[in-house]
Amino acid sequence: MLTVKNLDIHVPGKTILKDVSFDLKMGQTLCVVGESGSGKSSLLRALNGLIPANFASISFHPQGRTPIDLEGRWQRKPGLPETRWVMQDPISALDPKLPLGVSIGESVFTENPTTSALRVAVAEALRDVELPSIFATRLPAEISMGQAQRACLARALIARPSLIFFDEPLSALDAIVQKQVAATMKRLQERFGMTYITVTHDLGFASAYADHILVLRDGRVEANQPADTFFNAPESSYCEKLIQAARDLGGLPEIPVQGTKSLEPQPC
Amino acid sequence: MTIVSESGFIEEADLQKSNQDRMLSRFLIRIGVTALLVLMVVLAGYMLSPYAPNSPDFLDRLAPPSQVHWFGTDQLGRDVATRLLYGGVWSIGLAFLITGIGAIVGTAVGLAAGHYGRVIDAALMRTTDSFFAFPELIAAVTIAGVLGPSTTNMVLALILVGWMKFARLARSLSFELINRDFIVQAKLNGLPSVHILWRHILPNVGPSLLVLWTNAWSRSILSISGLSFLGFGVQPPNAEWGAMLLDGKAYMQTAPHLMIFPGLAILLSVLSINLVGDRFRDLIGGNGSAVN
Amino acid sequence: MLTFLNRNSGFLVLISRRVGGLVGVLFGVSFITFTMTYFAPGDKAAAIAHARYPDVQGFPPDILEGIRKEFSLNEPFFIQFFQWLLRFVQGDFGNSFASNVPVWTIFLSNAMETLSLTLTALVIGLCLAFLLSAIAVWRPGGLFDRMAVALASIGAAMPNYWLGLLLILLFAAHLNWLPAYGTGTPAHLVLPAFTLAFWITASQTRLLRAFFLEAKAAPYIETLRLRGVSEGEIFRRHVLRRALVPALTMIGLDIASLLEGTVIVELTFARGGVGSLLAGSVLSRDYPMILFLVMFSALIYVLINSLIEILQDVLDPRKSLFGVTAESHSDEVRT
Repeated sequence: MLTVKNLDIHVPGKTILKDVSFDLKMGQTLCVVGESGSGKSSLLRALNGLIPANFASISFHPQGRTPIDLEGRWQRKPGLPETRWVMQDPISALDPKLPLGVSIGESVFTENPTTSALRVAVAEALRDVELPSIFATRLPAEISMGQAQRACLARALIARPSLIFFDEPLSALDAIVQKQVAATMKRLQERFGMTYITVTHDLGFASAYADHILVLRDGRVEANQPADTFFNAPESSYCEKLIQAARDLGGLPEIPVQGTKSLEPQPC
Repeated sequence: MTIVSESGFIEEADLQKSNQDRMLSRFLIRIGVTALLVLMVVLAGYMLSPYAPNSPDFLDRLAPPSQVHWFGTDQLGRDVATRLLYGGVWSIGLAFLITGIGAIVGTAVGLAAGHYGRVIDAALMRTTDSFFAFPELIAAVTIAGVLGPSTTNMVLALILVGWMKFARLARSLSFELINRDFIVQAKLNGLPSVHILWRHILPNVGPSLLVLWTNAWSRSILSISGLSFLGFGVQPPNAEWGAMLLDGKAYMQTAPHLMIFPGLAILLSVLSINLVGDRFRDLIGGNGSAVN
Repeated sequence: MLTFLNRNSGFLVLISRRVGGLVGVLFGVSFITFTMTYFAPGDKAAAIAHARYPDVQGFPPDILEGIRKEFSLNEPFFIQFFQWLLRFVQGDFGNSFASNVPVWTIFLSNAMETLSLTLTALVIGLCLAFLLSAIAVWRPGGLFDRMAVALASIGAAMPNYWLGLLLILLFAAHLNWLPAYGTGTPAHLVLPAFTLAFWITASQTRLLRAFFLEAKAAPYIETLRLRGVSEGEIFRRHVLRRALVPALTMIGLDIASLLEGTVIVELTFARGGVGSLLAGSVLSRDYPMILFLVMFSALIYVLINSLIEILQDVLDPRKSLFGVTAESHSDEVRT
């Protein structure tokens, strides 16, 4: 549904990304893996039209719709239609002055965000991410990181997007909460048939959830292959080292878990 | 990457938040009640006073404070206490009006600069800087003087030289906000700019602007009475505090109460507004708002 | 090494941007000032004629027309503005309507009075502020500390013309120690200087107190303390020395308030000086004088502020670095 060919990002005097191509199929998870500074966040920003980039071609083809002319659209406003973005730091991604319910609901109900329809939709979204509906009245300062990230997930979910971008969605959370939120993400993906693009530096996460893996290093693609072949036969020596390092640290099981389903949803 | 233990974070955040909230609301209630009480005392005093602020009594001129005239009478035999109450409306009320208009205009300019950026930002901020370059009182004296000393011209002059602080603050705050995650998120989610401005940017810059406004209000009281004292502001026979000081100056030795009470009124009102503003700033923390 | 190069070029960009901004602001200042006087109500020719011949009532039209020609008052607004600006930039500030003497000469003869008042007040005010805040932070929260804080609050709320009047009432009218109004002897300087110094003391005490408290709690001061350096020596040798720069910086940034205070104090005490000159020329509509004085105060303000900003850029590498990167970053996102 999202096909990108030869994406480059330049800033004066520096190339941030060079020659990135991928083809993402519906319902899949693409993990973009790389060290900090490898350009993985810039890729996300470019795909959303937040920073200028050059493409050979880009086509976005959401479920049952005609392809959308992205470059023309980005002249007017950033963002992809029918997509949502979940950010790294959930607390700063929520307006500190607004109750969660308003933050979650406003993107679909800009006109009158106090109607009962909104309240129902927000409560449903909160339930989907395993938060009690009372959280609609809480302020971001009153909840934990994990709960905030779930709220961000709810905000994304309420719009029923076909594609969600995740920018290091778990790195602000501690280990147990990471696992729980990741399980929720997975469950929702299966339930709503959503496509995920996840930027991460955590190979363990990638091995558990990715269908396809894109490894970036200094703005260049080191590997671009399905997850199972990647962990068994990586495309470059750099990736081998990366996998070995993750194994040594215990972040990866010795025999890689393949593709889907590894963690059962757990109560929050 | 920060890892914060789930339970630890909740407790700390909850505690801080609710504590701060409780203190803030208690403070606001206290301020409201106090302001209401002061207003009632002033109104009651004004209505109960047997004297009119501008009616002379030539038989009882320059009388020292007594039971009949609590703060004495001035050179025309007018009751100083009544004139003080009446003058407060001029000093405090005009300052409120001037800074209110200044705050709205300045905030609008600052937010526009922050929103459109680039050429519009540069043009608006150069204009703001240019206005900023005039020392407020010197510009006000010049404008009020050249246009002819009168209350209207003074108000005009003070509005003209008083909006820039708000523009600068609103702009810098909105620039900080605009790159914050939740604003980027709102833009990505396709929310219209007007919505983002009203629901996200204004509530987050509001408290800081409010603190600045209390500060501007008290300074404006000083400016108004200063200009009136110099003869460029409120004109006699109106009982503005600075104008009363100007009147009383000539009778300094024979009737010192004529210059003690109006000055004291200015000092106390400015002091109390400043203290409220300080407390408010402390309560909302730092420069107050989501912007740190 | 790349960062270093980037930093230096970014730094030049920053400085040149500041200077460019400065020119823009100066142009804006002159435009606003000129517009203000241009659109002032009343016939300027009559004002000039009246200033020249104060005893004559009513002027024949041909004299007024002659004056209009002389001062090119019939030209369109922009022509007049650029003629004036061109002369102003070349240092020709025009002659006073009233005395037909160059405004620069009149200004100079008044400037000394103002300068002596401001400098005296500045010295007194700063010394008192250092003294008070040093005593205050000796025991934070103690009696002297609370008194200093109270004094600072009152000083910020005190109308300085009223303080001036109170001082006149006490020291001139009642005790008869000092002259109340006018200029001339050093005795005339005492009351105005203390009136102005009071405001400086109040604002600086507040600032220096906060600065001292912060400096006393700094980690390196703590280290000195652990090494056994005495509290007095720490304060004298390490805390005090570092406070003068921020104090002067704050005064520089608030030069507008200082100018305002000076004007009010001069007028309260009926002293000669730039403040009285301004009030006089405003009331007599002496436009060349008004234009010059307003432009001059704005120039002082703009120059001192830019100087401080540039100095801060030079002294604080962090600020210049962040200033550039933060801006380029925001440009990036807004595209």
